Amino acid sequence: MNGVPISAFLALALILFCIGLYGALTKRNTIIVLISIELMLNAVNINLVTFSKFGMVPSITGQIFTVFVIAVAAAEVAVGIAILLSLYRNRRTVNTDEMNTLKN
Amino acid sequence: MTVSGEFIAFLALALVAIIGGVLLLNLTKVVHMVVALVFTFLSIAGLYVLLSAEFLAVVQVLVYSGAISIIMLFGIMLTKHNDEDDESPSVGRWKRLFLLLGILAFGAVFYIGIYDLDFGTTPVALHENNAEQIGMELFSKYVIPFELMSVLLLVAFVGAIVLSRKDDDEKEAEKE
Amino acid sequence: MENAWLIPLFPLLSFLFLLLFGKKLKEASAYVGILLTLASLVYSVIVLVGRLTNDTYKAEADWLQIGNLQLTVGFEVNQLNALMLVIVSLVSFLVHTYSKGYMHGDERFPVFYAYLGLFTFAMLGLVLSPNLLQTYIFWELVGVGSFLLIGFYFHKDSAKAAAKKAFIMTRIGDVGLLIGMILLFWQTGSFEYDEIFASVQAGEVSGTMITLTSILIFVGAVGKSGQFPLHTWLPDAMEGPTPVSALIHAATMVAAGVYLVATMFPVFAASETAMATVAIVGAVTAIFAATIGLTQTDIKRVLAYSTVSQLGYMMLALGAAGYVAGVFHLMTHAFFKALLFLAAGSVIHAVHTQDIEKMGGLWKRLKFTAPLFLIGTLAISGVPLLSGFFSKDEILIAAWANGNYVLFWLAVIAAFFTAFYMFRLFFMVFTGKPRSEYKNVHESPASMTGPMVVLGILAVISGYVNTPWFGTFLGDWLVEGNEALGHGHIEGPAWIMIVATLVSLAGIYLAYLMYMKRSLAQDWFTSRAPTVYSIVNNKYFIDEIYQSTIVYATKAVSLFLRFIELFLVEGLVKSVTGIVQGLGKLGAKLQNGQVQAYGTVAFVGLAVLMLIFALTGGYL
Repeated sequence: MNGVPISAFLALALILFCIGLYGALTKRNTIIVLISIELMLNAVNINLVTFSKFGMVPSITGQIFTVFVIAVAAAEVAVGIAILLSLYRNRRTVNTDEMNTLKN
Repeated sequence: MTVSGEFIAFLALALVAIIGGVLLLNLTKVVHMVVALVFTFLSIAGLYVLLSAEFLAVVQVLVYSGAISIIMLFGIMLTKHNDEDDESPSVGRWKRLFLLLGILAFGAVFYIGIYDLDFGTTPVALHENNAEQIGMELFSKYVIPFELMSVLLLVAFVGAIVLSRKDDDEKEAEKE
Repeated sequence: MENAWLIPLFPLLSFLFLLLFGKKLKEASAYVGILLTLASLVYSVIVLVGRLTNDTYKAEADWLQIGNLQLTVGFEVNQLNALMLVIVSLVSFLVHTYSKGYMHGDERFPVFYAYLGLFTFAMLGLVLSPNLLQTYIFWELVGVGSFLLIGFYFHKDSAKAAAKKAFIMTRIGDVGLLIGMILLFWQTGSFEYDEIFASVQAGEVSGTMITLTSILIFVGAVGKSGQFPLHTWLPDAMEGPTPVSALIHAATMVAAGVYLVATMFPVFAASETAMATVAIVGAVTAIFAATIGLTQTDIKRVLAYSTVSQLGYMMLALGAAGYVAGVFHLMTHAFFKALLFLAAGSVIHAVHTQDIEKMGGLWKRLKFTAPLFLIGTLAISGVPLLSGFFSKDEILIAAWANGNYVLFWLAVIAAFFTAFYMFRLFFMVFTGKPRSEYKNVHESPASMTGPMVVLGILAVISGYVNTPWFGTFLGDWLVEGNEALGHGHIEGPAWIMIVATLVSLAGIYLAYLMYMKRSLAQDWFTSRAPTVYSIVNNKYFIDEIYQSTIVYATKAVSLFLRFIELFLVEGLVKSVTGIVQGLGKLGAKLQNGQVQAYGTVAFVGLAVLMLIFALTGGYL
């Protein structure tokens, strides 16, 4: 039952998190940016579940927390897409480099 | 380390997850990217099974691979003219190099922290009646966060509707 | 006497007032200046009279307290100070009055009066200072005043150059003074004259140190008083308006060097080497400047070299332990030299040229100026019964009594030259036939002749305060209560007076033969020793020597430093600005309004922080 070491899961989560981060910070399309953020959240979830099994104090709490994260992520995606749509109607674009109103 | 079936399963799932992530970064069509990511989400669900979280695995498949991916695809269809995405030219090469170095440093630091990590604790029996355990905890100890979460979902739901409907009204008002 | 500190404040008030309201007052500013300096004069006279009957008065207030060191400001009225006060404020008052006529019509008239006020303030402050530090402050202020006044006609390049030259040359001396002052402070722990003298007399300072400090202080005096080898600025300073020459370069500022040596006399007296240095420099300057004076043709330059020469006399007197003689000559010289300058100014005012080759036959035209100029000439030549005769006699006696026979004879020869070139000047200007066409030659207005008359009277009678015949009142008074200053009167053989008289008469007679009767050809000497003449006429090429040595060396050094500046310092500065500019540009670029760019920067910052944390031993 202890065939896979904890560090393997953590390393996988790290790699996925880094991919998600890179995507979130470089991609032009806002939808992909949102998806990348989801990927990062998933990486975090893997960590939580891993620690709920192999952690210092193994318990079900890690999984409960993951449930919450998933719920929040779902809500975030819903609002994110809604914002995106309304933005798209106003500016006719979903490209992040054209959303630079923070500048002025 | 003996090569157990569990290990082979982990390797296969991890490989699929990482390939999905890399495809997300490298594909050109947005729809393809989303589909690639669905594989990642699915393999993550498999990983959950390995980690004695069957309930979460099911939720993962339902919410991520199902709901969120579908919403994303709807978002793409509703917005996109040209559904190709190159990495933005205005984000210069220097910035990307800079970011890559930062991410590598970040990854290296964390890897040094985790590659050798083993708490050596005996795992508890999370896989037995997993859904029941979660249900017991959720509705006893975490009932208040759970209720708050429902409020949050409601607010998000209402907010999403308001955000997307308001403009429709305006458009109709303009048309009329 | 308690309120003697008010004296310098009147001219300061004049300066400030004219600075603020000069433009509106126009030529009426003269009255402001004249009235306020008159107030100074009146008060100075009251102080002098008070000092005749009372003791030295000294008042001080704390200025700075640094650890155990205490710096004070204040004022002191002793014999020398009181005398100087009267001399300075009197000459200043007369020059103020005179300038009203002389500067009439100048568009910067109020500015001129403002500068005069500033200078008078600085000079009076210098005279009243009870400690070296305060003296030094006013000493520099005097330099500034002088700079402004020499460069008054700043539209003339020569005036600008002369002002710069005067400032820089005197600065060289000032550095010496500053170093000497600091050394003295280090040795005695005080800037106060009293305390310095006390510790020098108590033998607390080593002999070498006394010699060193006094010579350094003397360097300051050399710069200010135009002694050899820093004398070259003084003749050039004649570019300033003539009243300025009379005030600064005859009676007051150049006398400041002599005054300083006289004030510090107890320190000098403690070192034989220092005294010998002062005496030798004085004597050399006296004869050196006198020979140059023989050949000059510019009326003001002749007077300038004569001033240098006379200041050399004073230094010689001080160096030969003739404190009284030096101060006495300082006083008489202030009167007759100011008179000569004012008279020269009057002549220039009348004929609009300074070249004596173009003058001549002015005796009949300038009814007031000419006799007054004659009085001044007689006084400076040392003709008996005029003031210069007595003071010069004192100096010669002091030199003789001190045993410096070489210096004594140098002084006698210089006296002969003085008489000769002064009468050469007089004869060329006032007698014979006019050598050029004059237009509108007229006597100067009363505001100009008035001061000259006053100075003329003083040039005649001021010698009688200290004579071997009627009593040495001034000398006795000056040294009263202060042993270190030497005797009030030095007895000397009677033949010295006769020799001095004969020598000056001989000089006058020679000048008479050459320039009045013309029985002796003017080029008698020139044709026989042309090399010597040309050397002297070119002022011993001192300026040229400075130009080819010090100036070039300085320029070479500065060129080298400039390269360092250009490539090293400027490179450094430019790289710093470049880095900052680059960072700024980068920062501006980052502020592009794109969330992803901000996110990148924030994340990379986090990564760097974590890297640092890990490397410096965080959890590893």
